[in-house]
Amino acid sequence: MKAFALIPLTICLGFTACEKQEERMLIEETRRVTSKDTKPKLFATSDERFRDAKPSPFKGDAPENWLTLPSSQMRILNYRFGESGMGEVYLSVSGGGVPDNVNRWLKQFGSKPLSPADFSALEKVEVVGTEGVWVEMAGRFDAGPMGGAARSGFALAGVVADVGGRILTIKMIGPKPEVEAEKEELRQYIGSLQVTGN
Amino acid sequence: MDAELKNKGKDREKSVLRKVYDFLSSLKLATALLLLLLVLTWLATLEQIDQGLYLTLRKYFSWQSLAFFPEINGKRVPVLLPGGYYVSALLLVNMILGGLVRIRKGPKQIGNLISHFGIVFMLLGGGVAHHFSERGNMAIGEGEMADVAEDYFEYVIEVSEVKDGENDGFHVIRGKYLTKLDGGDSQIFDFDGVPFSLNISGYLKNAVPVSSLERAPAEGELVTDGYYLASKPSEVTTERNTAGAYARVIFEDGEKSSPFILAGASFQPFTVRDGDRVFTVDMRKRLWPMPFEVELDTFTADFHPGTSRPAKFVSDVRRVENGQDSEVTIQMNEPMRYEGFTFFQASYGPPGAGPGDTMYSVFEVVRNPSDKWPEYSLYVVAFGMLVTFLTKLGSHLGAASRKRKKNA
Repeated sequence: MKAFALIPLTICLGFTACEKQEERMLIEETRRVTSKDTKPKLFATSDERFRDAKPSPFKGDAPENWLTLPSSQMRILNYRFGESGMGEVYLSVSGGGVPDNVNRWLKQFGSKPLSPADFSALEKVEVVGTEGVWVEMAGRFDAGPMGGAARSGFALAGVVADVGGRILTIKMIGPKPEVEAEKEELRQYIGSLQVTGN
Repeated sequence: MDAELKNKGKDREKSVLRKVYDFLSSLKLATALLLLLLVLTWLATLEQIDQGLYLTLRKYFSWQSLAFFPEINGKRVPVLLPGGYYVSALLLVNMILGGLVRIRKGPKQIGNLISHFGIVFMLLGGGVAHHFSERGNMAIGEGEMADVAEDYFEYVIEVSEVKDGENDGFHVIRGKYLTKLDGGDSQIFDFDGVPFSLNISGYLKNAVPVSSLERAPAEGELVTDGYYLASKPSEVTTERNTAGAYARVIFEDGEKSSPFILAGASFQPFTVRDGDRVFTVDMRKRLWPMPFEVELDTFTADFHPGTSRPAKFVSDVRRVENGQDSEVTIQMNEPMRYEGFTFFQASYGPPGAGPGDTMYSVFEVVRNPSDKWPEYSLYVVAFGMLVTFLTKLGSHLGAASRKRKKNA
């Protein structure tokens, strides 16, 4: 009976003794250099490998407590801020007009579009040598199907400006207390923005 | 008594085999299979609108598809259909047994025999193309030269030593070895003359590298150097898929590097330094070097008036091999065939280009051992039908003449 009890133990020991060897394969197929092969960029960083990193057409002095993120197709300059990790600031170039973009932001908080009179009453701020409108909003933020779940207690602050026919937007979005705390930093950042000419 | 029973058993066995043979060689089966192929082709044409051509062709006609449910307008049709490959294979058996073996032999049947042989040849050609043909594309701008085609679908991993800043030939891990590594499996690959091995795992057929700072990994993906591979559903246009995998370098002393990402969607290769030697490791669509160069002299596109829709596009190319030039014109329905490759005029770019824009020409390059078989088989079938027609005509005229003589 004792001998039978030893069988599972022996099997277990047998398996642990035979450590699984990973399979190896010798690759014999080769190809020559062709007209499609270009000079390789050596020791590229992950950002260089996975993003078609192009010089940004805008630059600004971001506060030290903002985390600079890689740019993306929709975000030319991209930052994160605040303790919650949900605060975001990003600069984009959009289509449409200034009122269209302001109303798009308002819609994300469930607000109705502005009348021409309300639009004219918006605070004006200077950005890259032109005049933009300052927008603030708070409440339940719903960026639509592509923006994830709606979030309550959020706030928005930012600027929309027409820069040489292109609509420049600088948007700060996040939990209301964190946006309130960073609003002045945002104003200074907007004031520091420059066109790089790239 | 026993011998009698044995003989009866043999007779029964024979009759079962005979029944199978009769069924496989019957005209009814041929008709049913041809109708089935017609239905499959019709349904595939409808389904490819939503699913894309490549996935639909694989589902309906690949040898890997034994049976399937069609899906039209996103809705599954509850009818299990046999794969087109096996319908064609059964039709081939039917044609050989019924159209060549079982058919009555005689002078009057020669035409039918020839036609059936042509159909068998055509079906065989389809099988050879299915298993052995390759397709890719080659894009060339005016005044430019190309000596390579790029596969539409197959992603490979290439390892290359860099000498004087340039790649010095490539070791190629083919896609068939990578697609098996899509679960938790991994594989170590060694290369002649390369002082390290590669351990590849986590292959994804469609994936993009995502920065974990931008979007946290949702399913526990491995993050390496701030990035992870996010899996995506297959694109409708399958050639737009970008594969990805994780890799580690294993040096000769057994030391392993940190894992890194190889992605079809990357812009630069990964670099490995081993002592004073430098190598690149990259994932990309497979390239097939051609045994000759193709230079695009001029590309002409005629557009429908007032639109960007081409009425006709023509590429005048020079094929250069061993220092000798040949001028060839490639246009729609007039491909260039040379050394087993066929160059079809496929499209042009850039997208949306119109009259007066600088454009490039795109050729579909096909390597198909049975490229001309369908054409030859059609000649054979047509010749067989002509013989049948003439034989029938001869018989008819002979019978009429005999009848006239008899009446006279």
